[in-house]
Amino acid sequence: MFDLILSQAVNGLVLGFLYVLIAVGLSVIFGMLGIVNFAHGAFFAIGAYLALMLNRDFGWGAALLAPLLTGLIGMFVEFVLIRRLYGKEPLLGLILTFALALFFEAILRLVFGAAPLPFNPPRFLAGFVEYGPVLITKYRIVVLAVTVFALVAFWSFLEYTPFGRIIRAGSRDAEMVGLLGINLPIVLSSVFGVGCLLAGLAGMLSGPLWTVNPSMAAGAIMPAFVIVTIGGLGSYAGAIIAGVLVGVVTAMTIQFYPDWSSAAMYVLMAVILLVRPRGLFGEKWERFE
Amino acid sequence: MSSNSLRLLTSIDRRTFIGGAGGLTLAHAAASKLGMPYIGNAAAADPIRIGMIYAKTGAVADQAEYMAQGSLLALETRNNTLLGRQAEVIWLDEPTSQAAQQNAERLVGEHNVVGIVGGSLSSSALAISAVAKKAKIPFVAANAGAIDLTGRLCNKYTFRLQPPADVHTRVLAPYCAGLGKKWYLLTAAFAFGQDIKRSFTEFSAANGITLVGADEVPVNTADYSSFILKIRAAKPDVVVGGVPGNDISTFLKQWNELGMKGKIPFAEIAVGATDLWGVGPEAADGLFTINWYHKNPKNPPEEQAMAATYAQKYKRPAADKTWMGWMAMNALLDSVETAKATEPSAIVNALEKWGVQRGGVKAGYRAFDHQMVNRLLVVGIKPKITDKWDYFDILAETPSNDAEIEKVFGAQAESACKMDAL
Repeated sequence: MFDLILSQAVNGLVLGFLYVLIAVGLSVIFGMLGIVNFAHGAFFAIGAYLALMLNRDFGWGAALLAPLLTGLIGMFVEFVLIRRLYGKEPLLGLILTFALALFFEAILRLVFGAAPLPFNPPRFLAGFVEYGPVLITKYRIVVLAVTVFALVAFWSFLEYTPFGRIIRAGSRDAEMVGLLGINLPIVLSSVFGVGCLLAGLAGMLSGPLWTVNPSMAAGAIMPAFVIVTIGGLGSYAGAIIAGVLVGVVTAMTIQFYPDWSSAAMYVLMAVILLVRPRGLFGEKWERFE
Repeated sequence: MSSNSLRLLTSIDRRTFIGGAGGLTLAHAAASKLGMPYIGNAAAADPIRIGMIYAKTGAVADQAEYMAQGSLLALETRNNTLLGRQAEVIWLDEPTSQAAQQNAERLVGEHNVVGIVGGSLSSSALAISAVAKKAKIPFVAANAGAIDLTGRLCNKYTFRLQPPADVHTRVLAPYCAGLGKKWYLLTAAFAFGQDIKRSFTEFSAANGITLVGADEVPVNTADYSSFILKIRAAKPDVVVGGVPGNDISTFLKQWNELGMKGKIPFAEIAVGATDLWGVGPEAADGLFTINWYHKNPKNPPEEQAMAATYAQKYKRPAADKTWMGWMAMNALLDSVETAKATEPSAIVNALEKWGVQRGGVKAGYRAFDHQMVNRLLVVGIKPKITDKWDYFDILAETPSNDAEIEKVFGAQAESACKMDAL
């Protein structure tokens, strides 16, 4: 039994990190822009579709551009629509991003049809490795490695670069950052773009694992929201720990109580919120109080 | 109010106007593809209206798209005319069973439809069926496979095309038993999945099969890897699936990814060809029952003509779901013509007598439970797939003649249906 638990834990870890990648973008957008982005799952789906198309027409090398393109689409959306909501009633942001999620899903359905499209891992990553009881596919190892690399790189960017400092400062007091002479609209566009880029990266990595179809956002967005809530709104470390927790708890529930597998993360969220209403690493943010 | 804000309210510059107009156009285009009802051929005054409820979003949206196109094709080939009058289809969504029920009520109350076709999921079809019974409107369920629809919860106004789970099980289970005596069940946690679990469990108990595992999985599960690890550890001879729509595509992709394809056989009833097309040739695997296949040379001429028309119009082959949508709608439209009236009772009587010859079997609805009897195909994935639209080898057609129908579909004495009166 221990073998199976270990195997499930490792599998849950991979799943959890994939969720983290989606959740971090959501968390950063909320932290900086104050927008709860219901359309985040749509950018995840766009990333998957772009990767599929680029891979089909130009190979996997080109597919790696999918997250970047997703980020650019995100910046365009921010420029055209999202920035009109800054400082306004939060409900407007919820409604707009929810409408955007539906709109993008409809566009994907219109362009690509409702049917799932075949998309498999690159051939050189086919197969799996076994370490004792643990079975993991080569592709999932790469997904784990890329995800960890992306998270570390993004954290380093936020922590050690001047632009990262502006983002962190802006997440606390955007008005003050603007008063210091920094071009805040460009910063905000970039942040939204980076959040969408991370969603697109998650979409690209998930495409060969899950099913690429216009409704695929639904499978990603709910765990992402749960992770952000458990980790604490706007908390980077919180999102990572919460993502791993959700992945492992879900895998363990499938092992022992499969009927409860879809409810497990919500039960976890409820328990954590009862103990820590702001989430594991949630802090008091003046601008949201 | 300041002069600036007043100016904002009273003057619209060119850019704002163009932006707003563009936004409105996009919103209109999106809305037409989302929740707004599709109304085909609405120009004529006082047309005969047919209601259609198929999913526009969610796990079965791709299947529903094919069904809707098949249903629309059935009316189009009649030049959108019924009883010499213009006819139109009103298509509403079924995002949840509650919404399906509300939309069925809208079709009856607001649009005065003479009948409804649809129900991509069993839960939706059961909800629509309740409305059909209450409103006394004929309803032909195209895709729902829950046993109760033509069993315990049958009613005079509901007809069902898809054979229920126990019928599919009688066809496929002997093939599974031939592969081994240790089975693992992986079924979706909704009405149809639970019926599959019950039917295969009953078959296994009666035939000396051991169930080494049985998991219920939520609909729209994105990652099956943890379930697959459990299956791998249980070492079954066969995995019997019961997951719908896109979920089977996801499962089979991950089944292949984790190296299980070809190691443990996979079988599932009532799949759609589109589910397998979405998996791709590399990962497609399994033994299935399916209602219709476009490459079957035994398809009657009128079905071959439908498939040709569909392929010409939509630039892709007709799927089994296209045929199901077409067949369900055809039954309703034929019955309206036969009844020479739009009165529900006349249409129901005509539906009970409706039938078409398909090979050695006369397909039609049984009067005692309104279940369509028809032939089913047992198919396996081709060893080498060279055509992206041709994945299946047909292994059997069952029942192959009228004498076998009762054996496969069950006798009246076995039915839980207590049919009510008109």
